[in-house]
Amino acid sequence: MNNTEQVGLVFFVCRPARVSTLAVRDTRHEVLTVMGAAGSKLEKALGDQFPEGERYFGLENFGNTCYCNSVLQALYFCVPFREQLLEYYANGKNIGDAEENLLTCLADLFTQISSQKKKTGVIAPKRFVQRLKKQNELFRSYMHQDAHEFLNFLLNELVDILEKEAQAVKSDPETSSPPEKTANGPKHAQANGISKEPLVTWVHKNFQGILTNETRCLQCETVTARDETFFDLSLDIEQNSSITSCLKNFSSTETLNAEDKFFCDKCCSLQEAQKRMKIKKPPHILVIHLKRFKYIEQLGRYKKLSYRVVFPLELKLSNTVEDADIEYSLFAVVVHVGSGPNHGHYVSLVKSHNHWLFFDDENVEMIDESAVQTFFGSAQEYSSNTDHGYILFYESIGASNNKS
Amino acid sequence: MISTSSTSANTQSPGLKTYFKTPEGRYKLHYEKTHPSGLLHYAHGKTVTQVSLANLKDKPAPSTPTAPTSGFSAGSGVRSAAARLLGGSNGSRALSFVGGNGGSKSISSSSRIGSLGASSSSNSMINTNFDGKGTYLIFNVGDAIFISDLNSQDKDPIKSIHFSNSNPVCHAFDQDAKDGHDLLIGLSSGDGVIILNIQDTLRKYLDRGHTVVDRCMSIAWVPGGDGAFVVAHADGNLYVYEKNKDGAGDSSFPVIKDQTQFSVAHARYSKSNPIARWHICQGSINGIAFSTDGVYLATVGRDGYLRVFDYLKEQLICGGKSYYGALLCCAWSMDAKYILTGGEDDLVQVWSMEDRKVVAWGEGHNSWVSGVAFDSYWSSPNSDGTGESVVYRFGSVGQDTQLLLWDLETDEIVVPLRRYPPGGSPTFSTGSQSSHWDSVIPVGTLQPAPSMRDVPKLSPVVAHRVHTEPLSGLVFTQESVLTVCREGHIKIWMRPGASESQSGNSETILSASLKEKPLFSSKIGSSAYRQ
Repeated sequence: MNNTEQVGLVFFVCRPARVSTLAVRDTRHEVLTVMGAAGSKLEKALGDQFPEGERYFGLENFGNTCYCNSVLQALYFCVPFREQLLEYYANGKNIGDAEENLLTCLADLFTQISSQKKKTGVIAPKRFVQRLKKQNELFRSYMHQDAHEFLNFLLNELVDILEKEAQAVKSDPETSSPPEKTANGPKHAQANGISKEPLVTWVHKNFQGILTNETRCLQCETVTARDETFFDLSLDIEQNSSITSCLKNFSSTETLNAEDKFFCDKCCSLQEAQKRMKIKKPPHILVIHLKRFKYIEQLGRYKKLSYRVVFPLELKLSNTVEDADIEYSLFAVVVHVGSGPNHGHYVSLVKSHNHWLFFDDENVEMIDESAVQTFFGSAQEYSSNTDHGYILFYESIGASNNKS
Repeated sequence: MISTSSTSANTQSPGLKTYFKTPEGRYKLHYEKTHPSGLLHYAHGKTVTQVSLANLKDKPAPSTPTAPTSGFSAGSGVRSAAARLLGGSNGSRALSFVGGNGGSKSISSSSRIGSLGASSSSNSMINTNFDGKGTYLIFNVGDAIFISDLNSQDKDPIKSIHFSNSNPVCHAFDQDAKDGHDLLIGLSSGDGVIILNIQDTLRKYLDRGHTVVDRCMSIAWVPGGDGAFVVAHADGNLYVYEKNKDGAGDSSFPVIKDQTQFSVAHARYSKSNPIARWHICQGSINGIAFSTDGVYLATVGRDGYLRVFDYLKEQLICGGKSYYGALLCCAWSMDAKYILTGGEDDLVQVWSMEDRKVVAWGEGHNSWVSGVAFDSYWSSPNSDGTGESVVYRFGSVGQDTQLLLWDLETDEIVVPLRRYPPGGSPTFSTGSQSSHWDSVIPVGTLQPAPSMRDVPKLSPVVAHRVHTEPLSGLVFTQESVLTVCREGHIKIWMRPGASESQSGNSETILSASLKEKPLFSSKIGSSAYRQ
């Protein structure tokens, strides 16, 4: 899709009313050149250290779309993901009949950011947000949304689209220039609804890890192991703990008893059992979601946990089945700002070329690495500090880099 | 996703016990020390409280605390700076300090003094007569240094020194100084170093001169160094000063060519401070410690490496990397045979100087380890002096609010069969092939991070939650263990059997909800790491 029809620059003075989807169908992501002032400040701060070819663009907020902006920035600075998305887009452009979907909208947005002449500025991810709202009514309202839910939805949606594309190619081999590169994995698409080997797309290659859920029946001692894939790990958190400790708890042995017994296939009955989660295959990009929004039964509602949970800039997973010493490096943090679950704001911290940047919708600032620790949370429940790390993005470094 | 149990209930109503049990007996909470709450400043929370001990045996240097406002200025040329000591009528003093270029920033001292004088707690500060004898606690909170009498029940400090424009972040007291009781104070701005007499008379302000430095991270007197001291900074540099030399000479140092390499540069003119610059690592130096004999200097930093230097020869002896993440603290055993480090991998690491490598990992903290120390006053209750084994007791505190005590029995450490070989370069090594254990690690090499299964593990003797806030340090004294949290609250835990009569505290358990687990498995595991 080579959509060059550019609508003139639009300046959103206020939050736009809900625009009918027809009207925005061909609207590209607008560049808001009027907000160049903040950008030049960042350029000044970086000086001649401004990384070549890199673009630092703020994203306009269309009314409570900061959940979206903060995650998009984290994904944009997930370099292997960005590169593969841009590559996908470049290769797919020739296929004229590609329908607009979230993948093309995201690719279009990233392409637009990376091809800006200016190094800094503001872009309105209008088309992407419209598409998102069209696709999922959850995100249609102007309510405060959950950034983790959005990330989860987006990654699964991208995978669905890539899988469907691969299937279409398979069933219609005469399609001109099949997008070979769109699915880098083995092309065992589903045939007749019978799932063979699942397709491994470049999204999988970046984010997917495999957990092994081991359950040991305390009656017959049989160990049942079940593998499950994940795009992120959701961790329970405790006050004054570390990510290392939360990960340890995640894999610690849990006893299933009372009302939560395990159905043992061998005993053919409900039995007490011990369960533990191990990471069988660590992902290339490790996304850690801190469960800061907890349902409190007594209150009958969700509550935000502002606990102080420290996260190191380098991390190793020691609770894995193998390759225990893969080292990860933190490159992005989505931060929830606010004291409650139903309101607040999202911003993101991003590491790019050894500089840390702070993205708050339209604004982009440089911050010191040591400032990352101001987003750990509060050691006391009532604190003026309400900026808490919510989603952490780590990239594996070192030998076992599966960059394709 | 998959749920794990949460202990949120504990944090809602923190139940902190006023004692903890060890194999040798109970440690009881004796006193608590803190800063006057009325003095909370906006800067509070931005700095982490550290604590130093000062034992005053004789009369301090003849400086009168009632001295009128004295002026002090140091520096010349472009970066002149001035520090003034302002006498307050109520005995409290505010030290105004102006750094930066040409002292162009105005001093905001008047308002500061006003607020200090108006605070209700200022009265209590002058009630206790600071006679200069005894043991004192020196700790920094926000923009101030506080001094408390260790052996008094008073929660509030007896003296406070406030700073303008810069926060005190680290300090060190010279126990052995012949010419007065000198307290070094490093500042968050990095603008030079202040030497105070403990009576709070400014003795000297040492300007950084033309040297551009980052935030101070750690400061230490050189043992037996006759007034020499070192200051470690956030930019990976360590500067050497001599207190009797003037600051602000023409100390300039060449540009560091390779940030990743260790280098030492001496000032061209030996009359001015700083006299030398050690570039140690890329990123911050988070902690430094001299061996008691002053021969070795250990540093830990953002890059996760422990480095041990021969201080006089200015040479790297050995070192190595954390499991992952930055190292935050380090400490020597009295005999300089072992070094403890703690950091962002939640581990307490024990390094052997003899083997020049890690010999054990202490697992037990649920967050970053922020303070480590050997208990030099401790002797094993079973030690009869005949056995081969030497037992060391050490402690660690973490951001998990816990104090952990550990025993290290040297004959229990079974060396792993496999380990990483020494790397090639003196400051960075990447070797990963396995080699034989017996091979000697050459002097001047840094070890890469060991594999989890290769290192023997230690379990704590006791784990006790001592504060509600993350901890920042601990100190062992003859009678007690001191714990301090980041926000500036100090607890003094009396050793078992130590001055029972003094212990007026009832052993009230505030709440029984806290899990208290005395762990008696003090042996080093020897099975986990064999292949």
